[in-house]
Amino acid sequence: MRQIAIASALLVLAALPAKAADPPSEPPSDAGALSLADETPALKPTSQSWRLFGEGALAHSWLRNPSGSGNEGRATIDFRYDGAVAPQLRAVFSDRLDLIHRGGDLQPREENVNTLREAYLSWHATPELIGDAGRINLRYGAAFGYNPTDYFKANATRVIVSIDPASLRENRQGTVVLQGQGLWSDTSVSAAFSPKLADAPSDATFSMNFGATNPSNRWLVAVGHKFAAEINPQVVLHGGDHTPTQAGLNLSGLISRATVAYIEYSAGRTGSLADQAQGFRRSDRVQQRGAAGLTYTTAFNLSLTAEFEYNSAAPTPSEWQALSSAAPLDALRLLSFAQAQQDLPVRQAVFVHGAWRDLGVRNLDLAAFARLATQSPRGSELWVEARYRWSKTELAVQWQQYTGSTASPYGLVPQDRRAEVLFRVFL
Amino acid sequence: MNPKSFFMAAAVVAAIAFAPVASAAIDAQAVLAASDAVRNPAKPFGVVVTLIEYRNRKQTDTNTLEVYSKAESAGGQYRSLIRFVNPPRDINKLMLKSGNDLWFFDPASKATIRLSPQQRLLGQAANGDVVTVNMAKDYRAELVAEEDVTDGEKVSRHCYRLRLAERSPDVTYDHIEMWIEAGTARPVKAQFYAESDRLLKTAYYRKFQSQLGSERPTEMVIIDGLDPNWVTVMRYSDYAWRDVPDSWLQRDYLPRFKPE
Repeated sequence: MRQIAIASALLVLAALPAKAADPPSEPPSDAGALSLADETPALKPTSQSWRLFGEGALAHSWLRNPSGSGNEGRATIDFRYDGAVAPQLRAVFSDRLDLIHRGGDLQPREENVNTLREAYLSWHATPELIGDAGRINLRYGAAFGYNPTDYFKANATRVIVSIDPASLRENRQGTVVLQGQGLWSDTSVSAAFSPKLADAPSDATFSMNFGATNPSNRWLVAVGHKFAAEINPQVVLHGGDHTPTQAGLNLSGLISRATVAYIEYSAGRTGSLADQAQGFRRSDRVQQRGAAGLTYTTAFNLSLTAEFEYNSAAPTPSEWQALSSAAPLDALRLLSFAQAQQDLPVRQAVFVHGAWRDLGVRNLDLAAFARLATQSPRGSELWVEARYRWSKTELAVQWQQYTGSTASPYGLVPQDRRAEVLFRVFL
Repeated sequence: MNPKSFFMAAAVVAAIAFAPVASAAIDAQAVLAASDAVRNPAKPFGVVVTLIEYRNRKQTDTNTLEVYSKAESAGGQYRSLIRFVNPPRDINKLMLKSGNDLWFFDPASKATIRLSPQQRLLGQAANGDVVTVNMAKDYRAELVAEEDVTDGEKVSRHCYRLRLAERSPDVTYDHIEMWIEAGTARPVKAQFYAESDRLLKTAYYRKFQSQLGSERPTEMVIIDGLDPNWVTVMRYSDYAWRDVPDSWLQRDYLPRFKPE
């Protein structure tokens, strides 16, 4: 029947030669767009193996307990090379130098830090078999704000220029490893060995800082398999000389055309955060860490993420209250330790993140996150950034704030509020 | 596309070329498949895609991508690995698309993130616009009419006007109106619609050149459905046959990709 209808329609069309001979022209708007395309000059695409940018930043911070304030200036050079140096050999080098000067009540006055993030060779023996040697930023984790399976994140950040999780992941040192990986169409197996290279971290500007990234012999095995387009779990096992075996799971899936769900979980024997911060090894027991969330993207390209975070090794709310009232310096030390470990300092938190690309104006992006400790005493950390992009430059304005009473971990952070303007130039 | 389906598509092109224009036996799905064969090489390949975006006739953005594509042995749909080449801030970022299995990798943060199809990384162009797609696999085609239409180079073309309806809600667009030239199966023009029947964008396929053994469009002009002053010119260059191993087309390969 449908074919008859189509045939009839075609016959009717054929019977209208006048119309057929008089092609409908495209709407005026289409003509304008096509003429614009005609005027577009021919471009010769070029590819480069490196990225280099310089960044200058000015910030003002407000302190509490005791109250004060101060200005900060920062100059940064950031370089990354990633290229093939031989048919089967890939070389990666990634480095960043931050020169920071502080005034007012801020300490330390000078902080000049070079972060050698990555320097390694990767040998692609076959498309399925790859070996690596050198300093590599081995990062795992499906979650957005808190990554319990990112086992090499501890002590990896030499200088924190932003509390944005993306910045913390990017501006850190890799671990020196020997690694092998097998890759097939739906399966991946990798094994890495990270040897002990030094005993203690170093603050020297150009230190390799192996004491932070390779303080003991450690290993990591990761296995991923794609069971279906929507189910692609990854299991990560990690252990070492002073690290009981930790088992982690990463899983993400598509709920709808606009929604992604994910879960990240790790379990294994470790000390509590409080004991680790004090250097005690008396209470190793199985601790569970996890993050689960959803990312929803609107039709106008605003991506919203809500994530629930859990860490059984963190103090309970009553423990936080007791510690901060009885031994505030110990509480501050614990908070500082959690930050260095990039671990969650509270038992439960809700992390909310939003990213809006091309916010009303082309090339204007807005990003923000808030992490809320959900149990009393409540507190939060907040970060907002507006960034405008030109072809080779960027201008950004950032605001970060910690809220909560001094009985809450986020209320303990000396830096209450901070505003920053930064300008980045790509060369 | 496997050899069998390639020869089938070639046979359809030939059949369309020599059939009476107003034949009632026109198989809309075969016309669409033949049009896919015009756009997409039959073996794994690589191509450089440059997107130049205009707002109110002013150039606002330029992106360059390297796209590696390979058809799945089962199903025939393409899987694509995309490397960002330009602007400098995006160098070596990667996107992997295999149906709705969509991943984004940032070499700076080493983050491999699953994306939803609704997330756009490239301004006006949907992720599905830059990857290779066999439309005949994703959409059900129906012949609406045969009509003459002015193409993107102001030439009148005698076309089959097809209405494409999504086979599953997973695909980039709910439905599409597509004009395919009778005889050559060249895509001429397409209008992409949301489920609400709102026109999302209009695309013109232009500048046909011999690439990888066939005449293929090397430029697509995309005009926004709401704002006709929002225009993206997509140019395809440096076509080359590429060995794209299956191991490249999975999430855990992304940190391993070796730029050439």
